[in-house]
Amino acid sequence: MGNRNEEDYNFVFKVVLIGESGVGKTNLLSRFTRNEFSHDSRTTIGVEFSTRTVMLGTAAVKAQIWDTAGLERYRAITSAYYRGAVGALLVFDLTKHQTYAVVERWLKELYDHAEATIVVMLVGNKSDLSQAREVPTDEARMFAENNGLLFLETSALDSTNVELAFETVLKEIFAKVSKQSQNSSRTSAVTLGSAQAGQELGPGEKRACCISL
Amino acid sequence: MAQALGEDLVQSCELQDDSSSLGSDSELSGPGPYRQADRYGFIGGSSAEPGPGHPPADLIRQREMKWVEMTSHWEKTMSRRYKKVKMQCRKGIPSALRARCWPLLCGAHVCQKNNPGTYQELAEAPGDPQWMETIGRDLHRQFPLHEMFVSPQGHGQQGLLQVLKAYTLYRPEQGYCQAQGPVAAVLLMHLPPEEAFWCLVQICEVYLPGYYGPHMEAVRLDAEVFMALLRRLLPRVHKHLQQVGVGPLLYLPEWFLCLFARSLPFPTVLRVWDAFLSEGVKVLFRVGLTLVRLALGTTEQRLACSGLLETLGALRAIPPTQLQEEVFMPQVHSVALSEHDLQREIKAQLAQLPATASGPPPRPQARLPGAQAIFEAQQLAVTRGGTRPEVPRIVVQPPEEPRPPRRKPQTRGKTFHGLLTRPRGPPIESPSRSHRGSTSFLDTRF
Repeated sequence: MGNRNEEDYNFVFKVVLIGESGVGKTNLLSRFTRNEFSHDSRTTIGVEFSTRTVMLGTAAVKAQIWDTAGLERYRAITSAYYRGAVGALLVFDLTKHQTYAVVERWLKELYDHAEATIVVMLVGNKSDLSQAREVPTDEARMFAENNGLLFLETSALDSTNVELAFETVLKEIFAKVSKQSQNSSRTSAVTLGSAQAGQELGPGEKRACCISL
Repeated sequence: MAQALGEDLVQSCELQDDSSSLGSDSELSGPGPYRQADRYGFIGGSSAEPGPGHPPADLIRQREMKWVEMTSHWEKTMSRRYKKVKMQCRKGIPSALRARCWPLLCGAHVCQKNNPGTYQELAEAPGDPQWMETIGRDLHRQFPLHEMFVSPQGHGQQGLLQVLKAYTLYRPEQGYCQAQGPVAAVLLMHLPPEEAFWCLVQICEVYLPGYYGPHMEAVRLDAEVFMALLRRLLPRVHKHLQQVGVGPLLYLPEWFLCLFARSLPFPTVLRVWDAFLSEGVKVLFRVGLTLVRLALGTTEQRLACSGLLETLGALRAIPPTQLQEEVFMPQVHSVALSEHDLQREIKAQLAQLPATASGPPPRPQARLPGAQAIFEAQQLAVTRGGTRPEVPRIVVQPPEEPRPPRRKPQTRGKTFHGLLTRPRGPPIESPSRSHRGSTSFLDTRF
């Protein structure tokens, strides 16, 4: 997966990072979009975002990654966060079982607010802290399979699988969007769902996002 | 450190010219070799000497004298000369005196006096393990580049732990909100833990009730209010924000919840807090409106922001020179938004809030708009026999006249005639009013 000039892209995919406070969402974001990591990144209050344009085959895809506060009470002000998202990384800290135990709740939150067709990957972060592991890989993988989620273990600290995680999600989204546009070219019906958010743009076309929050 | 911005937008390190509270540079694993801390304590920050436009030393000295004088008779000052307090807060409290003035302004000193030993108990009690874990996780993530908060064993992080824990014990139904971290940290940079605690209490309960609780309902209301104010005061900006899909919840929460502690150069943050503690939430709205105007006020700026991300990025990429305290604060104080305007808009938005929203409805009427209102409320509490045990005063009063049965009073006619025949002149003040300075009495709207 190569990089591409920021200005030149055919697709915009919005991907949200969700999960408990402290699992590493902000560092996954910074590792993927800027190849940076910090032990002391500030607590996320409100909403953060970053972008990176990547090549998927011949298509240039701008990944718009959103990050927000994990603490429960922020749910009240971040429900609009999910709007238009076509992908999600549900992150837990594999050294803290409690952050894995609440994954179902996060899934529910996600499906309450996002499109049903959203591509979701379960991510067990902090794989560099192998001695402190509290969540067995197989257990998490089983859960993911049973719930139709992708799954990977990552380390934002040493970069393990970070590219792969985002790349996999983006590819999956791309595949869905491609299939949908193939289908709609065969029928004349307008398809709703992720087609709107994974919109295709001609060169120089202005993106007018009618989402009001 | 990971300050998240779009790649095609201004990098966060450019915002660091003045102070590094906006976000750190991208060193791996925290600060490396020792670097000089600036005058506010930010490692690698550049607030060394006061910048251009900063008042000269003798003016600062004058202001210090004024504040020493005002604070040594605080009750008298607040009863009669609040307008002067307000003016001085707008000009900026001298750094040396913030520690003395902030607790007075927000009424924390009264809380502390009325609750002797309370903080001690809270500090010694064990915290709820759930909250302790959450708070603990955040301690090194509040002001990671401030020398006071660098070390986990240092009095910064430990003070933060104590104060935040104390709050969760003091108000268990409220618990811990992450935004209280930066707020408490700024307080701890100036005050010992007990005073910082009571200031935090005042901010969370009196200045901004409904902000830090489990539902943050007041934040949602204020976001609507902010949007409505934008529509009225900056209609073209408002239209642009609608078109690109940027709602206030995408940028306002961090601003308001942290009192701009994460969004402005540090000296400017302190100036905002001076005004906020004096005049209340209105200041937050004025600062927000000024920031939006600086980022998107011109046609060129809006044209440069073709979409949602660019627009959000513009809000975060205002050149630091425009945010310097001496440049920025006068603009804040001249925003055409009075307390009256604000209350009216709040009422209007409250009425329009969807009834289906989860959680309790916001109660903006519970909010006190600043130091004067707090002072008056605290005075009232005292006269109502408040919490302080008082030595009973012996008051000599004439026995009350038995009231005559209600019938058309004869006296009224006589008085009326009396008024008609009295030559025109200044109204006779009742005895109680003569105690008050005329200026302070008139200055009820601000």
